[in-house]
Amino acid sequence: MSNLFEHNGAKGQGYSQPAPVLPESSISLPPSLVRKNHARWPRLSEPEMVRHYTWLSKRNFGIDTGFYPLGSCTMKHNPRVNEVIAQLPGIADIHPHQPEHHIQGLLAIFHEMQYMLEVCSGMDQVTLQPVAGAQGEFTAVRCIQEYFHLRGEVQRTKVIVPDSAHGTNPASAAMCGFEIIEIPSREDGRIDLDALRAVADQTTAVMMITNPNTLGLFEPDIVEAASIVHGVGGQMYYDGANFNAILGITTPGLMGFDAVHFNLHKTFSQPHGGGGPGSGPIGVKSHLAEFLPGPLVKKRPPVGNESQMAIEDMWYGWYQPTHSIGKVQQWHGNAGAVIRCWAYYRRYGSGLRTMSEHAVLNANYLRHAIHKATKEAGVDSMVRDGAEAIVAKHEFTLSLQPAKESHDISAMDVAKGLLDKGYMAPTVYFPLVVPECMMVEPTETESKETLDTFATHFAEVLQIDAETLHAAPITTPVRRVDEVYAARNLCLRHPYDDE
Amino acid sequence: MLSAMGMSSIEELFQDIPAEIRMTEALPLPPPQSEEEILADARRLLGANVALGDRVSFLGAGLYRNYVPASVFQLINRGEFLTAYTPYQPEVSQGMLQAMWEFQTLISELVGLPVANLSLYDGSTAAAEALTCSVRVHNRKATQKDTVYVSELTPPDRLSVMYNYCQGGGITIKLLRHHSDGTLDLNAVSEATGSCGVYVEQPNPLGILDGGLSQLKEIIGENTALIVAVQPVSLGLIEAPGNYGADIVVGEGQPLGSPITGGGPIYGIFACSKAYLRLMPGRIVGRSIDVDGKVAYCLTLSTREQHIRRHRATSNICTNETLIALMGAMHMALLGPEGLHTLAVRNMTACLLAKQKLSEIGSIAIPHQNNNHFNEFVVELPGSSKDCLAHLDSVGIIGGFDLSAWYPERKNWLLVTFTDQTSATQIELLVAHLAVWASAQGVRA
Repeated sequence: MSNLFEHNGAKGQGYSQPAPVLPESSISLPPSLVRKNHARWPRLSEPEMVRHYTWLSKRNFGIDTGFYPLGSCTMKHNPRVNEVIAQLPGIADIHPHQPEHHIQGLLAIFHEMQYMLEVCSGMDQVTLQPVAGAQGEFTAVRCIQEYFHLRGEVQRTKVIVPDSAHGTNPASAAMCGFEIIEIPSREDGRIDLDALRAVADQTTAVMMITNPNTLGLFEPDIVEAASIVHGVGGQMYYDGANFNAILGITTPGLMGFDAVHFNLHKTFSQPHGGGGPGSGPIGVKSHLAEFLPGPLVKKRPPVGNESQMAIEDMWYGWYQPTHSIGKVQQWHGNAGAVIRCWAYYRRYGSGLRTMSEHAVLNANYLRHAIHKATKEAGVDSMVRDGAEAIVAKHEFTLSLQPAKESHDISAMDVAKGLLDKGYMAPTVYFPLVVPECMMVEPTETESKETLDTFATHFAEVLQIDAETLHAAPITTPVRRVDEVYAARNLCLRHPYDDE
Repeated sequence: MLSAMGMSSIEELFQDIPAEIRMTEALPLPPPQSEEEILADARRLLGANVALGDRVSFLGAGLYRNYVPASVFQLINRGEFLTAYTPYQPEVSQGMLQAMWEFQTLISELVGLPVANLSLYDGSTAAAEALTCSVRVHNRKATQKDTVYVSELTPPDRLSVMYNYCQGGGITIKLLRHHSDGTLDLNAVSEATGSCGVYVEQPNPLGILDGGLSQLKEIIGENTALIVAVQPVSLGLIEAPGNYGADIVVGEGQPLGSPITGGGPIYGIFACSKAYLRLMPGRIVGRSIDVDGKVAYCLTLSTREQHIRRHRATSNICTNETLIALMGAMHMALLGPEGLHTLAVRNMTACLLAKQKLSEIGSIAIPHQNNNHFNEFVVELPGSSKDCLAHLDSVGIIGGFDLSAWYPERKNWLLVTFTDQTSATQIELLVAHLAVWASAQGVRA
């Protein structure tokens, strides 16, 4: 056990600092401004600090540790060249207020990313400013809100969300001030058109939906859904969390959407970093483009002495949309994340379709392999598909409801059993429409061998007796953590001796 | 793989996508590249940028170029941290969970408040979330319902984020007046009594350390949240807002642990007193036990969050800036309390030396000269900031921030910034070139 706050070594030993340009005595502050007591921070030498965080890292599981089939999260490999690029001073040491002629290379990459995301989504204009998927949702719904305000359609106060949607959808729309109308999904998680028709009317502002849906299935009725919403004057919003399934195959634009967000940290491999940073650009059709947060990047031929600094004979500059909602992050969004994702997209370029093809192939193959392995092991009666479908897209759901009924083994038990096999567990208990749900997403960067081995191990876990599984995991740094205890005995910071 | 599934072509996997919405042509994008080619292109494009370190820079205005120790960059690239998702499976995420619990403690101690979350997107979104949080907590008793007060000096881009976050809840943002010396008009603050929250910055956007802020809580009372935004490095010298009555402290965490990176990813600090805990935004780690009674960490108080509470959540935030917060924690761990003090002294004395030297140039003025400053202050020029910056740029100096971008009438105000990375030589260089430019203005006039 390494405890940061037990380190109390010599003062100021962590790293040496140069002398200040004036002696400290030259500072004269009134008593009201002076800090009376130091923060009770620990005192570590560099080797102590390095060992502490190295020890912590060994108690953490990343994609680099092992297979990470976490549904809805698209945990693909993060190429290391992207990290090298993101550390170059031309991005790491750039200030967002520098003039355009200092950042032509950065703006060129921004412009290329705007364009790439536009053609992949079938939208007319992209902004890179939102820094996470949820912020992208919020931003797009805000733009639509302003669009309706300008048109005088202030009666549009409702946002329709399927009950299987990610929680961020209703949360983001509510932050904009909309009333949320939740509609039930069909048993396979697909949209219930009758339920949609029943609620869509002149008060509808937006419908938010993801496709493939949260069960990993393509919505065949998406065009009809869009026409119902457009028929009452509403707008269609595409939650891009599942973009990994459709790049180069179809676009939200073709499906009839007006606005879309991307999760660059999912689809384009910005590392998840244990919970962030992400990047959540949005794209919109032309009628919404002037409402986007600014500035956006545009290009034109260089004028005068600009040509000396121009990149490939183009000048890149900022542009402010006419009816912009303003800003959702003070600077230019997560520029460093955008650069990494630019590097990832460049690996595929015009062949991005193969990325989605392999993601979908891997998901369907893994679904097949799990059914095969469980059948061979004689445990196929314990698990079934979360939804009937000939093909899944980039992810699929399983239901452990049969195992729950026959063996008292829950989806969570299987998840913890998989931790003992050296895997990150798939997403459990989401979406709620599937009882004892397990949502599996292998991504395109895993090999057939990895998928086969996982399927075998999955079947092995189902052969373990309930009592043993209830006690799992046993090989992890700690065993099942008591979340109720954590909530009832709140300890949110180090308890100092005097507390 | 296809044949194992009884399929003959990859097309069969997409049979559920109707033909009328299929793309018929390849994406109009450049051909695929190898790693070497991508790296070469990145070096060419990003190499065309002028990095702050390529020049002598006095540009800050909310983001500060402080030194981040090498070990931080080395450790952050450990794949177990870098490539993990949000720690929903605590048994295999103890490393990040403990590191974030430690981060919460470090921030809590830094700002003088008992609770901190494990980051929001940036300082502006942290400030905006603080405003909506103050309304959730105080609106019932407020006499000025759905109303918050914000310093009139707040940069427009930050204010714009606040407006976007507040408008949905029908929250009105009113502005607080300042004296001509740049300090808050405490008499005007009484207007904010009975509102839900008051937002100020220390140091303020003009770099001023405003001693009057210590009296604010007494003026606005216990039913109005005092929200103070900080430059975290300043807290090595300057009183922690929690110690003068702040209820919520926010700020741009960037100077601790993170390069500026074009403005993101960086991280927003959010800390508060216990009264705000159950209505605050963002993820929180709690210390718990496992089934064997061993110390273990997990996410807690999740019922505030979107994945449980959906449209009634305190915020829509899901993905945050955990990895950058981890860089902050590592930097704080290396600094220790005395290291932070030294760092704050280096920042403040650089600013002090610059103020002394620049005040010797006759043709420029320092309008708030008698105040204490941290990192930056305003110089009033004998010509436009725009022209001045262009001149300095021509001699290889990034001269500062043109304040007409924030306050359009202040065409001649330049915000000049000095950090621990500023040397005495650099200050002399700025003084020399400013003096030459300023005197030329006089000739032209």
